Amino acid sequence: MDAFLEGLLTSLQPINIFWIIVGGFLGTIVGMLPGLGPATAVAVLIPVTFGMDATSALILMAAIYYGAMYGGSRSSILLNTPGDGSAIAATFDGYPMAQRGLAGQAMALSAVASFIGGIIATIGFIALAAPLSSFALKFGPAEYFLLMLLTLSAIISLSVGRMVKGLIAMSLGLLLSTIGIDTQTGVYRFTFGIPHLSEGLDFLIVIIGIYAVGEVLFNYLNIDEEKKEKKKVGKIWFTKDQWKRSKWPILRSGPLGFIIGVLPGAGGSIASMLSYTTEKQISRKPDEFGKGAPEGLAAPESANNAASVGALIPLLTMGIPGSGTTAVMLGALIMLGIRPGPLLFENDPGMVWTLINSMFIGNIALIIINILLVGLLVKILDTPAKVLYPIIVMLAFIGTYTLGYSTIDFFFLLIFGYFGLLLKILDFPIAPLILAIIVGGDMEQNFRMSLAASNGGFGIFFGSTIAVVLVVLTVLSLFYPLIIKSFKKLRGAGPAAD
Amino acid sequence: MKIIKMGMPVFLVVLSIVFLLGTYNLPKAKLGNPDAPLYFPMGVSVLLLVFSVIYLFQELRRAHEDNEQIREMLSGRTPLLIGATIALGIGYALIFETVGFLFSTILFLGALLFIVNGRRKWITNIIVTITFSFVSWYAFSELLGVSLP
Repeated sequence: MDAFLEGLLTSLQPINIFWIIVGGFLGTIVGMLPGLGPATAVAVLIPVTFGMDATSALILMAAIYYGAMYGGSRSSILLNTPGDGSAIAATFDGYPMAQRGLAGQAMALSAVASFIGGIIATIGFIALAAPLSSFALKFGPAEYFLLMLLTLSAIISLSVGRMVKGLIAMSLGLLLSTIGIDTQTGVYRFTFGIPHLSEGLDFLIVIIGIYAVGEVLFNYLNIDEEKKEKKKVGKIWFTKDQWKRSKWPILRSGPLGFIIGVLPGAGGSIASMLSYTTEKQISRKPDEFGKGAPEGLAAPESANNAASVGALIPLLTMGIPGSGTTAVMLGALIMLGIRPGPLLFENDPGMVWTLINSMFIGNIALIIINILLVGLLVKILDTPAKVLYPIIVMLAFIGTYTLGYSTIDFFFLLIFGYFGLLLKILDFPIAPLILAIIVGGDMEQNFRMSLAASNGGFGIFFGSTIAVVLVVLTVLSLFYPLIIKSFKKLRGAGPAAD
Repeated sequence: MKIIKMGMPVFLVVLSIVFLLGTYNLPKAKLGNPDAPLYFPMGVSVLLLVFSVIYLFQELRRAHEDNEQIREMLSGRTPLLIGATIALGIGYALIFETVGFLFSTILFLGALLFIVNGRRKWITNIIVTITFSFVSWYAFSELLGVSLP
């Protein structure tokens, strides 16, 4: 309770409220840009946290993160162009609403739904985070290694139809994480005679390269097909009827989104899609879905925001990010000297509770930003992408310079930017690469520590109940598509055999 | 189009072989198990090689299939935009420390805006370039205390 109050007081400090508002606003703007999502927002804005104390920086990062989640749906509603996967479902009914001149109502409804989803998930966070972090204390190196493996396999298994590409992205990320001095033995690995690489490849440069420069290069593909739709925003508050239709879907989708967000690999995209299809199935007016049904917008908006808070649980309690965006968050936290994991809750409960309280305040700030400033946000969205993309590239360069004060990193930024473009064009999933490059170092250390503890025996990876469960889950998640396929085949073959 | 489609799997196969050979040439550790630093990268290189070979065969079978995005990347002014961004980025890297942050950023952002946003909107380009260069210099150098050249 003391830690809770301490956290509340810290997050209510004027400077921290200021950072919550700044982060929420900046996140909303970058998240709003067509084609750019929360991962890009966090990646581009990482340097803004330089020089801050760790708590303020953490608050700012989190505000940018959920600000971008709010922002993503602005461009879905107004332009039918989602910022990222989790904002896709907002286009289904949000855009038809905007076409009917109800953009203001749609944005207000989406903001309120996101707010309620965020609050439900924050309560869930409070209930689940502390027990989970105590449980994580039982994990030894072998369990940690297996947990990281499970997270990677869960993310890959979601790349339906492109498993091989997911596995390549993961292997490549793990391989890149081995560049530099081996911390246990001091051996130089794969530095190719470049002294700059002796400390390893800074994963933040890879992240900024792929998510900022790569995304801009990818968006060049459609830059001249810019949507120039001037829409009437209309009233900026929803009607009683719209609220009546949306309130239960919002309340149902919040917990659903939260639970999906906690699971490794799953995230806002799955949460919002699942809540949309669920609501459509149980709705009395399923025909109106896709034509501007308010509940068709409100439900996924509540779910994806709840998922974004849920995804912070494995990140903060175990130090394991469950998605590309939270992997970028982890990168930012490590840079700030914050090591997420069970010990964070033991050693620095004040910081954790400050973050949780800042989530409540942040959600309130965001709903104000998103409703009161609708006019301003629409104007910003009118700014041509052709002006914004060069600015994002410039920010990426400045951000990179501030990481290591060396222009050699500019070349790595460009290499990974171009590589990111090719990966996107060739339909590679990016999340396994980013996740692997961030957790790769820890994964190897835990792997080697396990083997050292067991004198080289692999039995340690089956040495506890937790380890066995993790191995089983990893195998199941990797072979799940194959199992389902064989099962369907068997069922299909059954009657024929009879 | 084929070069890009087939180039990636070939690049990945070559990269995994380079890393695999690299692991054989790693120096032995003087502390603990001398081979400890090479197990993990060796295992991962083998994984990358195996999956890249599978990917290569998958792409060989699909070599004739069309990829709309590759076509878009190679058509219109997209190659110019991508090429110019990379070329200007290299130029920026070369002059950043010698010319200084402010002047090099004005040159880089200005040139990029003129190419991406077009010459016709030169007033917007100039205003945005100067405003953002100064604002970012002030924000990073003065407010955040970052040491810029």
